[in-house]
Amino acid sequence: MDLAVRIGSLALRNPVVTASGTFGYGDEYAHVVDLATIGAVITKTVTLEPRAGNQPARIAETAGGMLNSIGLENVGLERFRREKLPKLAALDATVIASLGGETPAELAALLEALGREKAIGAFELNFSCPNVSKGGAIYWTDARRLERTLRQLKPLTRAPLIAKLSPDVTSIAELARACEQGGADAITAVNTFVGMALDLDAAGHRLNRSTGGLSGPAIKPLALARCHEAARAVRIPVLGSGGIMSGRDALEFIAVGATAVQVGTASFIRPRAAAEVVDGMRAFLAARGIRRIAEWRGRLMEPPATPARRAPAARRAKPRNGRGASRTRCDGSGRSRARR
Amino acid sequence: MSATDEITRARAAGDPGGIVAPPAAWRQVDATVGAHRDAGAGHRCLELHVPRTFARPEPGQFVQLLLAPPAPVLLPRPMSVASVSASAGGLTLGFLYAAVGAGTQALAALSTGAVVHVLGPLGRGFPLDVAGTPVLVAGGRGVAPLLFAAEAFARRARRCELLFGARDAAHLVALAGATARLESAGGRMHLATDDGSRGLAGTVVDLLDRIAPRLRAPLVIHACGPHAMLRAVARWGLRHETPAFLAMESVMACGTGVCRGCPLPRSESARTELARRRDRIPSLYGSPEFAMCCTDGPVFAAPDLDWERIH
Ligand SMILES: Cc1cc2nc3c(=O)[nH]c(=O)nc-3n(C[C@H](O)[C@H](O)[C@H](O)COP(=O)(O)OP(=O)(O)OC[C@H]3O[C@@H](n4cnc5c(N)ncnc54)[C@H](O)[C@@H]3O)c2cc1C
Ligand SMILES: Cc1cc2nc3c(=O)[nH]c(=O)nc-3n(C[C@H](O)[C@H](O)[C@H](O)COP(=O)(O)O)c2cc1C
Ligand code: FES
Repeated sequence: MDLAVRIGSLALRNPVVTASGTFGYGDEYAHVVDLATIGAVITKTVTLEPRAGNQPARIAETAGGMLNSIGLENVGLERFRREKLPKLAALDATVIASLGGETPAELAALLEALGREKAIGAFELNFSCPNVSKGGAIYWTDARRLERTLRQLKPLTRAPLIAKLSPDVTSIAELARACEQGGADAITAVNTFVGMALDLDAAGHRLNRSTGGLSGPAIKPLALARCHEAARAVRIPVLGSGGIMSGRDALEFIAVGATAVQVGTASFIRPRAAAEVVDGMRAFLAARGIRRIAEWRGRLMEPPATPARRAPAARRAKPRNGRGASRTRCDGSGRSRARR
Repeated sequence: MSATDEITRARAAGDPGGIVAPPAAWRQVDATVGAHRDAGAGHRCLELHVPRTFARPEPGQFVQLLLAPPAPVLLPRPMSVASVSASAGGLTLGFLYAAVGAGTQALAALSTGAVVHVLGPLGRGFPLDVAGTPVLVAGGRGVAPLLFAAEAFARRARRCELLFGARDAAHLVALAGATARLESAGGRMHLATDDGSRGLAGTVVDLLDRIAPRLRAPLVIHACGPHAMLRAVARWGLRHETPAFLAMESVMACGTGVCRGCPLPRSESARTELARRRDRIPSLYGSPEFAMCCTDGPVFAAPDLDWERIH
């Protein structure tokens, strides 16, 4: 079965990648997951300077999900380069490095330092951390800022740039388009949703910063809708993220237009989750006689057909940005649109 | 090299908080529930059979227990290993737990033969090689991993003093069994209850004050219990220049060091030491500010944590 996909110039052997912050630097799990069987490993977001992260408590489980307020704890660029890169290079894995910055200039500095590293196949730009007071999701919800930043970053590396967006925005379509305009090679939709949990008995907040990012099965329907919205808005590939626990979940995101998917919280529960998602996808597709993942992609991008008195199907299929129906056509052949 | 050897070596090399993570040997396996019975005061004893692929846990190490679907909770629950024995096809792990919330209550409902998923062994256990008369200080359910430690000491021909405290006699969990296990390991039990319903009327630290002068110096303390008790024991150790190792807890997600969700504040001295030796410490992500309970711990040496900030 052909599960190979492309994210810009980067070829992935299959569409399943591990989400940033949930799989360490790959080596932590390498003794239980054959990294060659998954599409790529996205490493924990690295920032220019080391970050200690937030005060405890950083985690609270909620119904069907978990809130986290890690606060981007990481070793910082210098030690990432010195300690992590050699290890990453030695892994039999495609590596996508996640970068975080409080300003465009910080991201530029990170890319100047890492942009030519051979061990890194692509960069994911974390425009969406909900747990930092500066340079987090809110700062990066400005479409013009995103576009300008990507324009500035694009020349710094030949590796693809993936813009990871927050779901807590008025229009993810608008932000995704701004990223595309600025030169992003792909969009990740989405990071965690801002949430809060209380301990009523103790009359207190369960997280130190009171709010955190919600992940896990609880967010899957929300994430699926955002992923769909983003995928309809842009031509570049979209990586779906949010609550993916199984091959079936992954295929839902791909059905609404995602090119690849990210497995996050699931790895905390089953460290082999990403590999299991690949197996599950394969089994589902095989049972339906589908031989290429591209045949599945975008299958359910269109809203369900409503009774006939509505406009004809062809016109309803017109995407919101009005750039031509052909891109998002879903004619049942499964070949929804061309990809770069 | 075992995790405890590793930690001893690391600490001997002046590695505060144990920065050099031991090589990961954990696996996630299917386990079947063996004996599972009530231990009084809302606690239960659980036995799980794990296959041979599961490495033998050391005292103070823990596992992540995941209920099979459909389960009322999403994440696995950390649980200290209370005993290990060989069994047909692998190991039998013992646990003592309190059914406090949705996860542990669902666990309590499982009967013999049920399947759960076990990830482990995780973390660094008690450094059994530190010299001295072992004084084990337990609060409530914290007694379980210390009995496991007492048995490991017995195999090294070292006899333990176990100081067991709880709020009242009923919360001296599984006392009869504990006493029997301790005595067959050649140890001696000392009791304290806050309300005086059994043993000394007072805390385990009061008990420590009373017993310690009678024991052969030097002492080495290994403790497990509520954080308030561990803070008091850590301070006792620091005050008396007695090495003390404390088994800490935190809310956890992964248990393996990747999520960075289980921080405990490092002490000023540990932070300074880390900053000084930064270049030579191959940490995972590591910040001088926080240690991770799951991988740097759960057992910490008293000088390594900032007890003011531990709740
Ligand atoms: C390394 C380690 C070893 C442990 N060993 C044991 C053990 O041997 N026996 C035992 O009974 N318990 C042990 N615990 C605590 C146990 O993990 C929690 O009681 C359990 O996660 C509660 O889950 P729940 O779904 O029943 O309750 P929840 O509804 O999740 O929580 C109920 C209460 O427990 C608190 N809690 C939740 N998670 C933890 C946690 N990880 N640590 C401390 N408090 C928590 C919550 O704040 C709440 O007050 C250990 C914890 C750690 C970190
Ligand atoms: C503990 C934790 C830490 C995370 N850290 C990061 C991070 O450093 N950078 C980032 O871009 N996303 C981070 N995320 C978000 C995940 O990558 C993912 O997008 C999100 O959790 C939704 O997917 P899931 O439901 O599969 O977990 C983190 C998520 C969790 C739960
Ligand atoms: S529980 Fe994830 S780092 Fe400790």
